[in-house]
Amino acid sequence: MSEKITFKELVELIAKQSQQSQSSANSFIHELVQIIESGLKSSGSVSISGFGKFELRWMNERTGTHPQTGDEITIPGQNKVVFKPYKALREEVNVPFAGLKSRIIREEVDEAIPPASGTAENNGKNETIDDLIIERDNPHFVPPKKQTAETNGNKPVAAKLPDESKLAEEVQKSGNYKWAYAAAVMIALIAFILLFFMMQRDSDTAETPTTVQMEQVTPPIAEETTPADDPDPGIQTEFETQSFTVEPGQSLWTIAENQLGNPYLWPVLYNLNRDLLTNPNQLPAASELDVPSISDPENLNEFEREQVALGYFSLYEWNRENNPEEARYFLWAVGVFSPELLAQPPSEADPDDLAFARNR
Amino acid sequence: MKYKELIDRLSEKTGHPKVKTREMLEDTVQVISEHLSQGKGVSVPDLGTFGTKVNTEKKVYNPHYEAFLMVPPKRTVEFNPSSKLKEEVKYLEQTDE
Repeated sequence: MSEKITFKELVELIAKQSQQSQSSANSFIHELVQIIESGLKSSGSVSISGFGKFELRWMNERTGTHPQTGDEITIPGQNKVVFKPYKALREEVNVPFAGLKSRIIREEVDEAIPPASGTAENNGKNETIDDLIIERDNPHFVPPKKQTAETNGNKPVAAKLPDESKLAEEVQKSGNYKWAYAAAVMIALIAFILLFFMMQRDSDTAETPTTVQMEQVTPPIAEETTPADDPDPGIQTEFETQSFTVEPGQSLWTIAENQLGNPYLWPVLYNLNRDLLTNPNQLPAASELDVPSISDPENLNEFEREQVALGYFSLYEWNRENNPEEARYFLWAVGVFSPELLAQPPSEADPDDLAFARNR
Repeated sequence: MKYKELIDRLSEKTGHPKVKTREMLEDTVQVISEHLSQGKGVSVPDLGTFGTKVNTEKKVYNPHYEAFLMVPPKRTVEFNPSSKLKEEVKYLEQTDE
């Protein structure tokens, strides 16, 4: 409350409003106050229509500390006057914030502390929206992507090869994080066999990445920042990336929406900047992100779809460790963008989750 | 005390007809509400001070949804009774209606 009007001003305004003399307005208010007081004394509440209700509330005896001596004192029970505004007044006063509604956030409180003035809250909200939409299984969202997947599926196999070796590297790296568990080793072995199978299918692919680069942590895409001079425009092996500085209040979702043209592509950003982002829900302000250039956000080419799917897969892996209940939806999103990748997951996936994602 | 009773007593005291008393009370309420809606405080002698305060946006846990809710900011009415009114009612016998 920045300003207060004095009683004199109040009387003037009321006199003007009701076309009365100031003295009668003055005495009117004094009478009103007296009646409110006597009403409180006699019945404990006074109601004024369209305004509110004055009430007495009995405060029980309680102990407190003396503000100066610090001694414990007993505060005797006493009556307190409270004023409850009625709806009309509440709404009139709340006009600046009218129409705002509570929103659900699917985020634990202890995760909400960003490293440096970040946008964790925003990210959490957006992710919720993302989840909700995915959960709803919107037919308008899915089918076009699936169609393009089928039509583009007949492209020459050679175009896909470099990506598959990249996938293999991904297998290694994502495996790295989980090898603490002895059981995971077995699953990784399965992944190796799968990899081997892929190698056999396309024997022209060069070096076997099976034992290479176990220690390397940075994602391969992040290293390849130079644009590919591919003569065939339909075949792409890496993104042309631009640097982008995150401003406070932005999230991966909004950046994907503004820079890439489709917010659902935000996992690409996460995958490209894995070295910066340990938690996909936290985006430190002022970080320098690599942002790829997407030719047409409505019709992704095969490479782009695969990269988005890979992004969703890394999100699946992250969520499986940190948010197991919702992880499967990310796996399902992998299949939306690239059914091939879902058929051959780049890393071990929970069989239940896979079944869920494939049958959805 | 109900609104009707309040007007009856008020018109008795001021000598105005009931209809006019009601109008004046409505005008009074309107003037105070207008000021409150502009964020201004209004103090009425011997009764207290009306003011507004803004509750900032906050995060609360909703057990029904089992999730956190972001509750938007809200401006509400505050009323501080005058010290005279406080003392008058302080040690009344507890009134149960």
